[in-house]
Amino acid sequence: MTIPPDTNHHIGTSDATPGGYAAARRPGERAFAVFLTLGSLALVAEAYGISGFEGLSAPGTVPLVVTSVMALTAVITLAQTWSLPRIADETIARDILPLNVILFVAMLVGYALLLRPLGFLPTSALFLILAIKLLGRYSWPYSIAVGLGSLIGIWLIFRVVFTVLMPAGIFPEAELLQLFRDLSGGAR
Amino acid sequence: MDALWAFLTVYTQLDLLALVAIGTFSGIYVGAIPGLSVTMAVSILISFTFSWDVYPALALMIGIYMGGVYGGSRTAILLNIPGAPSAIATAMDGYPIAQRGEAGMAIGVVTVVSFFGGLIGIATLAVAAPLLADFALRFQPRDYMLLAAMGILLVGSLSTGSLVKGIFAGALGLAIGAVGRDPLTFTERLTFDLDLLNGGVSFIAVMIGMFGVSEALAQLHHVNVPAIKQKIGRIIPSWGTVRRHLGLGMQTSTIGVIIGALPGTGGDIAALMAYDHAKRVTKNPEHPFGKGAIEGLVAPESANNAAVGGAFIPMMTLGIPGDAVTAIMIGALFIHGLNPGPMLMVDQPDMFWFIVGALLAANVFMLAFGLTGVRVFTKIVEMPRAVLIPLILLLSIVGAYAVNNAISDVYWMLGFGVFGYFMRNYGYPLGPVILGVILSRLLDDNWRRAIISDREDLGRLFWGIMTSPLSAVLFVSVILILVSQTPVWGWAKTWLTAKAKA
Repeated sequence: MTIPPDTNHHIGTSDATPGGYAAARRPGERAFAVFLTLGSLALVAEAYGISGFEGLSAPGTVPLVVTSVMALTAVITLAQTWSLPRIADETIARDILPLNVILFVAMLVGYALLLRPLGFLPTSALFLILAIKLLGRYSWPYSIAVGLGSLIGIWLIFRVVFTVLMPAGIFPEAELLQLFRDLSGGAR
Repeated sequence: MDALWAFLTVYTQLDLLALVAIGTFSGIYVGAIPGLSVTMAVSILISFTFSWDVYPALALMIGIYMGGVYGGSRTAILLNIPGAPSAIATAMDGYPIAQRGEAGMAIGVVTVVSFFGGLIGIATLAVAAPLLADFALRFQPRDYMLLAAMGILLVGSLSTGSLVKGIFAGALGLAIGAVGRDPLTFTERLTFDLDLLNGGVSFIAVMIGMFGVSEALAQLHHVNVPAIKQKIGRIIPSWGTVRRHLGLGMQTSTIGVIIGALPGTGGDIAALMAYDHAKRVTKNPEHPFGKGAIEGLVAPESANNAAVGGAFIPMMTLGIPGDAVTAIMIGALFIHGLNPGPMLMVDQPDMFWFIVGALLAANVFMLAFGLTGVRVFTKIVEMPRAVLIPLILLLSIVGAYAVNNAISDVYWMLGFGVFGYFMRNYGYPLGPVILGVILSRLLDDNWRRAIISDREDLGRLFWGIMTSPLSAVLFVSVILILVSQTPVWGWAKTWLTAKAKA
């Protein structure tokens, strides 16, 4: 099959073009293959613990087969990956885990931690403003304006169109909505 | 008659029609913006629409699906960046055409052939699915099991990547789907004795993580890609241009429907295969392939939209997803308490005809928006990624949280997002994971039904497979897919050719 030119830095974009290189190994690929192998083996052990080899229709049979397939394919991949030549001009820090990626994962974890105590609106405002500022290197006023503007847009769509309820936290969201309702012609 | 009324539902209820239109319009945007994909949009949408009725939710998703598959061509032609996976083949000839200054013509042709391909896909769905559904009622549990296995294998074997990694991804999905209490015996499975895992892993968190978060993280690599401006002239193509390529479009649409209808494989693979087909059958292209051949646009773009209708065929008749998006839609139907499969076609044919009607409406909207709204669509593509990526991430979090109001789902989503990011970097396909998660229950149930009805005897099961024509065909296909990817295939080929020469 025709292999389209890589426009995405060898990061997979679809099932047809899953990324990586065919005949070379990216930095960290061996470690990932080892991780998958160990993980699969742990899953095999766990699957065996469900019902052992009790019978073909036992609850553990399919998990045991499936995890064994995982382990087998992980080992094959590990063996194949191990012997491939490493790509010379790629480094982990630049091509696999650049600072931006680590930073964003950390910010997402922070978001999840703050969501309950602070509430949806303050946490999201913080996240959006910081993320836009960091990524785009815009000025603070611009980042704050864009961050808050898009947050208001998202919040209106969620609350009004999709009626999704997020943790309110410290921001008096419900009171604000009620105020608007009162202003727009009394309670509905 | 009832079928006709169900088919017309979407046209008689203005709110549903409006939802299809909104969906198609935003779908074109989603497709056109690199970094936003249909799979991502649909998986995030599930969690927002689960409080809706099923028809409006489906109307919106179908619009997004149709529009998104088409929208990717925009950026492929104008910026040489496929906006959506299904447009990966489009950039190869679309961008050279734009460089020649004929971007308008390219967009026009793509719009018309996408519509054409879409029509063929929908027509095939409308004709084939009811026939297949009757036939599907005779499917044995073992046939479902084999079909599910085939779907997972096909993705890896038809892609440009490695089958072994594809199988790993599929098996991983099946394992994720098995986590939690076994629905039949209530035994804990793969829970590592953690209470957290008793209820299983939310498949929405897996999907949003794999397709939303990991995509956004991958996009962080090119925040500052400058947009190149192209001149767009006349868009509506001349009838002569369209007619000249109708024959090819017909062939590639057929490829699209078939690839779409095969379990697991969707528009992205269909587009690449159609492109290869066009290269083989076009004898004297006006411009060579890769240097701006119109045939190189017609083939993938008709095929990927034809694959949309095709992908609904196994989803509606068997409950087996035709591609990643229909896998997510099956998940959406589960949430609404519906179980797609032959029984749904028999019990609620209305649902099927509604989907056909909505697909047709989406296809027409796609044509209309595609030919008129070009300037609007090029504007939004210029939206800076520094704003876009944080917004995707925020939507992903809200989507994962909203379904169960559980912070733990957000952590699952993050975990699978990071994991998916590594998988993308190292060439593991993500589609099979989702297929696996959705098919896990089906595979497990049908395996147990099959083996219990054969009194736990593998020999009997195997005998049953070999003596039923359908099971035998499916079984042989599964074996062939596996063998075709091993060195054995190459040896057999050289041996056979050597024998033929001697």
